[in-house]
Amino acid sequence: MNIYKKSIWVFHLNTGGCNSCDIEILDVLTPYHDVERFGIKLVASPRHADALLLTGPVTKEILPKVIDALLAVPEPKLVIAIGSCTTGGGIWYDTYSTIGGLNELYKVLKEEYGVPEPSTVKIPGCPPKPESIIYGIALALGVVQQKVTTTTARVE
Amino acid sequence: MRSNIILGRGDLEVIEMLNKYLIDKIVGIRNVGDGKLIIDVKPNNLVDVVNVVTDKLGGIFVTIVGNDARSIDNSFHNIYVFSLDSLKTYLLIRVKLDPESPKINSITHIVKGADWGEREVRDLLGINMVNHPDPRRLILPDGWPEGINPLKKEFAHSIRPELNNSECYVPLRSDDVVALPYGPYHPLLHEPEYFELHIKGETVVGVEYRGFHVHRGIEKLGESRLTYNQVPFVAERICGICGFVHNVCYCQAIENAAKIEVPERAHYIRSIILEIERLHSHLLWLGVACHILGFDTGFMHAWRIREPIMNLAEALTGNRKNYGLNLVGGVRRDINKDSSARISKLLKDIKHEYDRFISSLTAVKEVIRRLEGSGLLPKPEAISYGVVGPVARGSALKRDVRVDHPYAAYKDVSFKVPTYSECDNMSRLMVRVDEVYESISIIEQLIDRLPGGSILAENAEVPEYREGFSGIEAPRGEDFHYVLTGRFSKVYRWRVRAPTYNNIPALKVMLHEVPLSDAPLTIASIDPCFSCTDRLLVFDVDKGKKFKVSYKALASGWKP
Repeated sequence: MNIYKKSIWVFHLNTGGCNSCDIEILDVLTPYHDVERFGIKLVASPRHADALLLTGPVTKEILPKVIDALLAVPEPKLVIAIGSCTTGGGIWYDTYSTIGGLNELYKVLKEEYGVPEPSTVKIPGCPPKPESIIYGIALALGVVQQKVTTTTARVE
Repeated sequence: MRSNIILGRGDLEVIEMLNKYLIDKIVGIRNVGDGKLIIDVKPNNLVDVVNVVTDKLGGIFVTIVGNDARSIDNSFHNIYVFSLDSLKTYLLIRVKLDPESPKINSITHIVKGADWGEREVRDLLGINMVNHPDPRRLILPDGWPEGINPLKKEFAHSIRPELNNSECYVPLRSDDVVALPYGPYHPLLHEPEYFELHIKGETVVGVEYRGFHVHRGIEKLGESRLTYNQVPFVAERICGICGFVHNVCYCQAIENAAKIEVPERAHYIRSIILEIERLHSHLLWLGVACHILGFDTGFMHAWRIREPIMNLAEALTGNRKNYGLNLVGGVRRDINKDSSARISKLLKDIKHEYDRFISSLTAVKEVIRRLEGSGLLPKPEAISYGVVGPVARGSALKRDVRVDHPYAAYKDVSFKVPTYSECDNMSRLMVRVDEVYESISIIEQLIDRLPGGSILAENAEVPEYREGFSGIEAPRGEDFHYVLTGRFSKVYRWRVRAPTYNNIPALKVMLHEVPLSDAPLTIASIDPCFSCTDRLLVFDVDKGKKFKVSYKALASGWKP
């Protein structure tokens, strides 16, 4: 997955999250964890970003704006989904005002805009600790190897 | 549903006054606990009663609770909550409305703060607000079909109707102002909300607000899919910063409804964690405020000081955020002796570091000049909007739920309620600065006096169809939860009113005539927490009365 040779710049996009992932993201940027030492920097516009940090189950109200922001990120783009709500919809997977997480967002992207799924790192947790956020980004950069593999369970 | 009357504190006085002014208008009166009164009035008397409560009893508006009680007594309920701070009483005014076509007179012309509450009830329960000045939608997303009101019991929590994509948000513009979008994604807003600032020269003359982007449907979820002991864990996810407040507030409301005696030790543990949360929240805000001022050194230092508090929370509860500590009737984990010693040492270190930080922050002239005199909210406006927390205390309004309606272990500790009367951004900052010291002192006192005993009430039974409510002083102000218990261990109605919900409408006043460069800071000065506010759905626009407005639809879609 090592598509970035140099520093990655990130844009933070709250997609209807409760703030706890968002404050952990800020925490990662402040002195205790200080990810700027790895060249990771928060930028003010998606057009300047290499990666999008998504937090939240994607509410219906926010959906068009999230898509706009996603499309504005230049290729090659990376999506870092932070928190359980983003990765799978969390407890909101079927509530009336959300669309239910990242997979649904990608479905909309594909069906309505014809955009393929971008490379994605999922960091579950409620909220994920700053260490796991850094680990997730390191994974995207190819600094560490992924330890977990996907298995699919079918529920009848 | 009738409980024994236990009169305490201001109750007798309140009843006396109600008898004096409203004897012929009150249909029923109940007491659901110390300092908690519910009166029933006829719908056509509501406006008179609200007038008396605000004028004669000094009631400050808290919220409106709408309830679809058609399966209980074949009516819709609208409950208007007022806080009588000086009498230490919450007064709830209930009206019962027609089940077929519910309607009620608006009270927004008396209390400005009722605006959002009324529109929310209209959106979610379909109750018609007669004479409400603003016919627009507040909460549901754009294009949400008419007639689907998610909180009505006939609709499942998982309804996902097709949205009508042609309907989109239309900002109001006039020719002599420049409209400047601030959000929904802005570097200085860490949550998605849309403000449109109307600028004349360099001055903000009006503001439009389209919020509720983070509405996730928590109340409906709590009423449908979850049992009453699962709700606390979801309540915590209302807000990632002050989640524990919602968690405790919900539990206290259920405990109030079911008359559950919570062990003293559990009260103390709750209070300790609440104060730890206030510490980290205020430091977080101070950091963000510095960041907005361009004083990034302050931002970094505030967050550096905050980090040990997060570690402490993790040591005490198992997680840095979303502690999962509460159940109805008490807490799940205890604090041991070692932690007490650790907390004391840590607080001492933090106090020392914080002292240094604050003395250097208040020595930076640029910071002080930006803060002083900007974002004014005069006291009368503050009362009318029913603002809460540091915003109220920064406008010389001495309101603090910990003192006005004591809960948990706050009756056993002594602390000051800092108030400032300059009504500007500096006042609101100083309130928070002082509160950090008070919080540290409160935790020290609680640790010293921590009683022994159990931490969870045994055999806590929750009876059907009892109502209860609770208020808590969150870092951002008063948080209010109302519950009506239902059958099969479920909650029939759960209403959450987060502090920011009352503070955002007051931004209209604060932002008026401020220089553009102070607008982000002024918006941040209420410490907005949109995820709390948006647990439902919202839509709001301020017309700005000073200029003529021509409606000019933007091209369809959301592109700026």
